Amino acid sequence: MPNWKRRLRDGALTIAVMAAIFLLVLALQRFFVADKLIPMLFVLGVFIVSLQTEGYLWGVAASLIGVLLVNYAFMFPYYAFDLLSPVNLATAVVMLAVSVMTSTLTTQISVQQQEKAAAERERMRANLLRAISHDLRTPLTSISGACSVMLDNHDTLSEEKQLTLLGDMRRDADWLIRMVENLLSVTRIDDKKLLVSKVPTVLEELIDTVLVKFYKHYPQQQVEVSIPDDFVSIPMDAMLIEQVLINMLENAVVHAKGMTRLSLTVAVEQGKACFAICDDGCGIPAQRLNGLFTGYLDRDQEVSDGKRNGMGIGLFVCAAIIRAHGSEIHARNLPEGGAAFSFALDMEESDEQ
Amino acid sequence: MSNNKYRILAVEDDRSVSSLLHAMLDAQHYETLMAETCAQGLMMLSSHVPDLVILDLGLPDRDGLEFIRTARGKSAVPILVLSARATEKDKVTALDLGANDYITKPFSTAELLARIRAALRYSRPGTEQNKLPESRFQLHDLAIDYENRTVSVASQPVHLTQTEFNILAQLAQHAGKLLTYAAMNEAIWGAADPGGNKKLQVNMANLRRKLGIRPGDNRYIVNELGVGYRMQQGEE
Repeated sequence: MPNWKRRLRDGALTIAVMAAIFLLVLALQRFFVADKLIPMLFVLGVFIVSLQTEGYLWGVAASLIGVLLVNYAFMFPYYAFDLLSPVNLATAVVMLAVSVMTSTLTTQISVQQQEKAAAERERMRANLLRAISHDLRTPLTSISGACSVMLDNHDTLSEEKQLTLLGDMRRDADWLIRMVENLLSVTRIDDKKLLVSKVPTVLEELIDTVLVKFYKHYPQQQVEVSIPDDFVSIPMDAMLIEQVLINMLENAVVHAKGMTRLSLTVAVEQGKACFAICDDGCGIPAQRLNGLFTGYLDRDQEVSDGKRNGMGIGLFVCAAIIRAHGSEIHARNLPEGGAAFSFALDMEESDEQ
Repeated sequence: MSNNKYRILAVEDDRSVSSLLHAMLDAQHYETLMAETCAQGLMMLSSHVPDLVILDLGLPDRDGLEFIRTARGKSAVPILVLSARATEKDKVTALDLGANDYITKPFSTAELLARIRAALRYSRPGTEQNKLPESRFQLHDLAIDYENRTVSVASQPVHLTQTEFNILAQLAQHAGKLLTYAAMNEAIWGAADPGGNKKLQVNMANLRRKLGIRPGDNRYIVNELGVGYRMQQGEE
């Protein structure tokens, strides 16, 4: 939120709260003698303002307004200022103290929260780096090794052997490229605000782009697509959402053992575009369902079967991207077997930036 | 392949990429020239008059975008940008400056060669903008007759509105070239659409429906999300 907008909001809030308290006191006075309650209510108002606004300014302003209002309207002499009586001065001091102390406290808490969030981001980043370095080492080793073998033995290796090595090298390099694309996606998210730049994107064009790229890597895997017939335009960072959908489709191909059907569905419901990717494979082991999107990064031990398992990073990236779009990603097992991944995006353009 | 004696200038400072380009282009019997800096590239552009330029944007002396700007002042040579910068904004900037195509690193060699062929065909004498365009366009089972303004898919006529036909014709006449939203808006409506690209996108959606294009089974028009559209290369 820009600074002036925030100030405007805080100022309006201060005036609204104090006016509400004033009116409340006026109303109460119709029913009973509320003299003892009046300063307490105003202190409450000051407390609310200090709690809800930023910095000290508004809390102090509220306590001044409070002192003046109480002094003017509710203290003898009524409807006239008498600022120098000891009672009034004491009231003013108390209200000021409340506002300053509350503001100090709330400022401290918000600073602490920011520090905590920063530490959390830092931890995620460190984990991601560690996981990635681990995952990149294997294919890099095999590419470098294969190159050495071919350079050293180019005259003795059979052509067939050389072709096998080259084929392996290309497969490893392709895998590295996809992994690096994931990394690039993460850097596109502005991590300070955790926001992405959203552009209205035509759903049909998005799905087409995703499928073209997916079929390039997995030409043998059919995807059943179901999207609305109408013209649907969704504000999003298209490159990132494309990455999410490709990761989720790839994840199904790699992990859903025994899969015969893979579907990609988008439905528009209540101002949201709901994306779902379902398969009829082996499902997700129950112990992995929790922390599926971060669990990989917290796991320190090597992957047990020694096989590369880059999809952990892929899912982590998916979750980060969807979160940056102000939504959540969900994974569940289907009752009829298989797994479903889903997320929803707002159809309306929000002006939260 | 006899018609492959095209002269291609590659401006690229990274040694591995440039030796890869050299090997790849030699294998296709193109005549290959290499430049390592923007200045050297511009000099070779004037002295050797290549048929196509492959351009890296991150050059040591100046930004590759400067190369496009300067080159466009004096030459219509097709420029194919080959860059690691991958955001929509980078692509749109380079294309709107006059680049013909944009390929991000890492690239597949097959893809790069296909784009080179497309760009060369686009620039060949006879299809240049100042000459009369061909009267027909054929791509798989899609046929466009520019003179009679008719379109058919698998010999079945398709009825398009004026705007839809103009969009399709615009794409087909520049087949193989990536057209940005801005360039499309300019060509169809004569000015950038103040309401963004919605009008163009809605018309494209209708066009896809009428041509029977399904997501993932799109044989005619490639979507470059956030950048623009490209018609696949037609047949001779």
